[in-house]
Amino acid sequence: MAIFNFKKREIECKIVYYGPGRCGKTTNMEYIFKTFKKQVVGEMVSIDTEGDRTLFFDFLPMGLGRIKGFDIKLQVYTVPGQVQYRSTRKLVLKGVDGIIFVADSLAVRREKNMVSLKDLQHNLKEYGLNIFKIPLVMQHNKRDLAGQGFPIMSVEQMEKDLNRQLKVPSFPASAIIGQGVGTTLKECLKLTLISFRKNLKLGR
Amino acid sequence: MNIAKQIKTLLQEAELYHSQGLLDEALVKYHHAEDLIQRHEQLKNRLKLIDAVSKKIQHLKNEIQRIENAPKRPEVSAKKQDLIKKLFTLTPNMSEDASALEGAVALAKFGQFKRAILEFKALLKKDSLQVAAAKNIIRCHMALSSVDDAVAEYDQWLSENIFLPNQLQRLRTFFENVLNKEGIDKILPQIKMSADDVETIIHIPEVHHVKAQTYEDDRLKNEEVKIEDDEDLDINSIGITFDSGPLKEQVFEFKVRFQLGNVVSLLISGREKDLIEKFKVGTTINDVQYYSNIAFFNGSGLIASVKKIKIGPMRGDYCVDIEAAIS
Ligand SMILES: Nc1nc2c(ncn2[C@@H]2O[C@H](COP(=O)(O)OP(=O)(O)O)[C@@H](O)[C@H]2O)c(=O)[nH]1
Ligand SMILES: [Mg+2]
Repeated sequence: MAIFNFKKREIECKIVYYGPGRCGKTTNMEYIFKTFKKQVVGEMVSIDTEGDRTLFFDFLPMGLGRIKGFDIKLQVYTVPGQVQYRSTRKLVLKGVDGIIFVADSLAVRREKNMVSLKDLQHNLKEYGLNIFKIPLVMQHNKRDLAGQGFPIMSVEQMEKDLNRQLKVPSFPASAIIGQGVGTTLKECLKLTLISFRKNLKLGR
Repeated sequence: MNIAKQIKTLLQEAELYHSQGLLDEALVKYHHAEDLIQRHEQLKNRLKLIDAVSKKIQHLKNEIQRIENAPKRPEVSAKKQDLIKKLFTLTPNMSEDASALEGAVALAKFGQFKRAILEFKALLKKDSLQVAAAKNIIRCHMALSSVDDAVAEYDQWLSENIFLPNQLQRLRTFFENVLNKEGIDKILPQIKMSADDVETIIHIPEVHHVKAQTYEDDRLKNEEVKIEDDEDLDINSIGITFDSGPLKEQVFEFKVRFQLGNVVSLLISGREKDLIEKFKVGTTINDVQYYSNIAFFNGSGLIASVKKIKIGPMRGDYCVDIEAAIS
């Protein structure tokens, strides 16, 4: 749940990059950190192992400036993808307002994508959140590998695997060159802010 | 496809997966390539190829081993620990002490047990938090597989004068449960009691503090440490008692329609004129009970806003926002 501070007129919301290990969550964040200088308000911190695997999370503080009189602050996180870090993932997900699910286009990761999406649904449920209702966008990452002759899934295939029921906005991307990274994040922020506005209207 | 080309493709794939950290996937491809090379004796440079691929496989296996053997929750730098504390203590409107407890709990959740123990120890001096802190110290020692340290700690508490006998008894029960769950057979030192103390046990009521976090039901395993706080400040409903006016001393219960942080929104029927009169923006109601799933607590509430709903099915009703402060 977003931290809403009437006195400071500040809304702090939490965006989480979710997805299987090595799908490119950290790469997405690194690109944002490098590119969105104006919105980035602090250092990106990675709590990782020497093998550059995300251990606990990556964190990036951002600010969107004032919207309708409120200062919008963002805390952007990535989760560790490896299966054994289930409890850490859940901790990072606590209080989430918007989610970017990064799927790996590599055919060998097809199962892992689906398992991770299920894991997301499960963890949200444990916090009383519904994957069908929370602001969520999907990213099909590593599209650049298609042109290099590696076995990657078609977008149609991935949509069928992951987005048939959810029907959330989805974007092809190549995080390593930054393609689609900004678009994905912007759409997620849009959905998150719309959802806030809806909630705030409740009973007002 | 021509065999040489097929092998080349497999090796390229393996290289890619390796470079992306997809080690298991890379290993499968190398094995597949190795297999093909073995089975095709007519291949040029066959022995050289076999040698090269098996070297790659060995290298990869070592890497996989290394990752598997690495500690799953290593201690990170103090700076990163500080960040973890800052980011994962979210509950608004907490006292400094309660927030210090939450910070230490966050450290424990991320496996930073040594630092967490130090911080919990500092909290043993705070009356309202000492039992929660003590339980956490036991938990952390157990997570570090240092049962003896946990027992030594408990032993020290027995000889010191910081806990009341009933608190010591609670800690003992807690500790025994933890040991039982872990299947550890250990007899804890006895609590020494005087007749006066027995009296105290009967008369002192248990004080439940809002942020006193305990983890009675968690299992502690070295890798997947599951430390949950059992206090979530999601408020479902609130009860208000007015201290003056015609509604004096009546208790009114309201369902919370919406909550953002420490601000809860209530809906009040437009017909309840007397009630609406009581909600004046900027005033504080001193006697408010906040009910959440797991506990309720007393506090006060600042009326942040009162708005008449102009459209929709709730038209004519009022939305009252109350900023909760927990006492
Ligand atoms: N070719 C390609 N590689 C990518 C892309 N995004 C990430 N990677 C690589 O995939 C690996 C894992 O990326 P990382 O961001 O650490 O994944 P995470 O585990 O989801 O955080 C790294 O080697 C990245 O360079 C992409 O769009 N294209
Ligand atoms: Mg990562």
